[in-house]
Amino acid sequence: MTALLEVQDLHKHFGGVQAVTACSFTAAEGQITGLIGPNGAGKSTAIDLISGFKVPDSGTVRFEGKEVQGRPPHVVSRMGLIRTFQSPREWPALSVLENLILACFEPRRERFWRALWGPSRAEKERANEQLIQARAVLDEFGLLHLRNERAGNLSGGQKRLLEFGRIRMAKPRLVILDEPMGGVNPVLGERMASAVLGFVPSGTSVVIVEHNLPFIERVTDQVVVMAEGRVIAEAPFDQLRGNQAVVDAYLGEMPTYDDADA
Amino acid sequence: MIDYLVSVLTEGSIFAIMALGLNIIWGWSGDFDLAFYGYVALGAYMTLVLTIGPATSPTTYILGLSLPFPIAVAIAVISSMLLALIVGAIALRHLRGIYFSIVTLGAVYVLYTFAGQFVPLFNGYNGLSGLFDPMGDFFNLDFTSYPFFYLGLCVAVLLVVLFLVTRLSGSRFGLALRSLREDERAAAAFGRGIYVMKLKAYVIGAGIGGLGGALFAGYLSAFNPSAWSPVETIVLYAAILVGGRGSNRGVVLGVAVMVMGLQEATRYLPEIANQPSFAPALRLILTGVILVLFIRFRPQGLLPERRLRDKDPAGTGGAAVAVEGSVAGATLDTGAA
Repeated sequence: MTALLEVQDLHKHFGGVQAVTACSFTAAEGQITGLIGPNGAGKSTAIDLISGFKVPDSGTVRFEGKEVQGRPPHVVSRMGLIRTFQSPREWPALSVLENLILACFEPRRERFWRALWGPSRAEKERANEQLIQARAVLDEFGLLHLRNERAGNLSGGQKRLLEFGRIRMAKPRLVILDEPMGGVNPVLGERMASAVLGFVPSGTSVVIVEHNLPFIERVTDQVVVMAEGRVIAEAPFDQLRGNQAVVDAYLGEMPTYDDADA
Repeated sequence: MIDYLVSVLTEGSIFAIMALGLNIIWGWSGDFDLAFYGYVALGAYMTLVLTIGPATSPTTYILGLSLPFPIAVAIAVISSMLLALIVGAIALRHLRGIYFSIVTLGAVYVLYTFAGQFVPLFNGYNGLSGLFDPMGDFFNLDFTSYPFFYLGLCVAVLLVVLFLVTRLSGSRFGLALRSLREDERAAAAFGRGIYVMKLKAYVIGAGIGGLGGALFAGYLSAFNPSAWSPVETIVLYAAILVGGRGSNRGVVLGVAVMVMGLQEATRYLPEIANQPSFAPALRLILTGVILVLFIRFRPQGLLPERRLRDKDPAGTGGAAVAVEGSVAGATLDTGAA
């Protein structure tokens, strides 16, 4: 397993608040890495620092061996690292189909002069392929009948699925999912678990921030635990139960996946 | 009567061109730009100083060339784009929403005051005049046939602009711009360089505004600060809102309703003794009332923005789907659902 993402000694403070302190962890290629910790542990800040939405005070972030810290978010995204947000951020006035199609960033086709001149034959074919692909993805997530709907009209759960659909279209090397299970019911949760598990075979490794521990236990290969801005443990989930620091900081009385089902 | 109709239509076409430009900035890219009329004004001023020849005392202005009208218009458009590049590069860097609007408002007031006070530039508050019937001599037109020619010119330019913006609107360029309007952070997360894209849209929109201003100068044959105040931008916003923000056809319809329709409908109201300002005041009141009603009851406007629609009923047809006037193989439907 090679490290796809290497975070080393990341620091970030906001005023007097040290949000992230000496945060270091790695996410391996072809794996699903969980990032857990109590509220205020610095998980969201860490994601912002990795994806370029915030600039770290110090430390390095290596993605596929290249340093990306401090680069703007669109550059990081173009390198193949895409993130989602805590609340779904669909493009509300655009249709579900448009939301999917725009998930693929295609600089050549988005140029002003190209737009004025009109698409070439090859680009029209590409557009058609993309449409077929988008339909397949929508079908997989059960959104096909809503493809012409305004994305803003979807329910909260459907928006989560749409976000997953966009990731499937974009095919990044790594996706960072920020609390994808927030406000999702158990039935949909099942669908999302299988979607997350489906990312890896399609070539997308996953880092997932989540408070739903049964979900983390089910889908992750490796878990990074943060507390008070630091990484306090990095291990497969079942080994964390024996780690006193983790139990004290976060887990406490931990339910198992079976308990949650009951 | 016919002369009157010709002048109304000419003015309407010019305003429609301006509104189409502003629609790129506000309708697609989502920036509430209050400097827009500055670009219109610069287009008008530049057209005049490039065509009316050297200044004779006591008037003073820069350049004072006698270039052919089309060349002057082209340079005017480029000037507006350059100005927009400067203002946009500053204002779009970090500011959004009301903060962006305030900075652009500041920029246009600086420009307005500068044009008014700094006399050597565009002859101050007295403004410029003397562009009579551009290209009239070239086509051997007399003063009775000229207005028809100029109407034809303005309509032709409007149609070309409409064609081009429709093309942009349906392209991935247009679609990507709309994603900035809808959610900028998500757009960045999916690879869009927000600043550069917004700046492009801003400069293109301003260029179209400058084109409208250039034609306006030819129509009025003069231009001075009282012909434009930053408030004029609101008329364009009203037209876009009523017609349908983001929708090109909607914007043209909006201009027909809010600029031509309202203006002309209130023109023949009976005069009230000692109250000469009654009709203009009523026009403003009506504009406000219509805006409020639209925002409350039909925020998407008369002809809402179109969305890419997959018309294949089963959604499984793949390559068999007709590709016409569309980006992604899905046909563009008229409805907005």
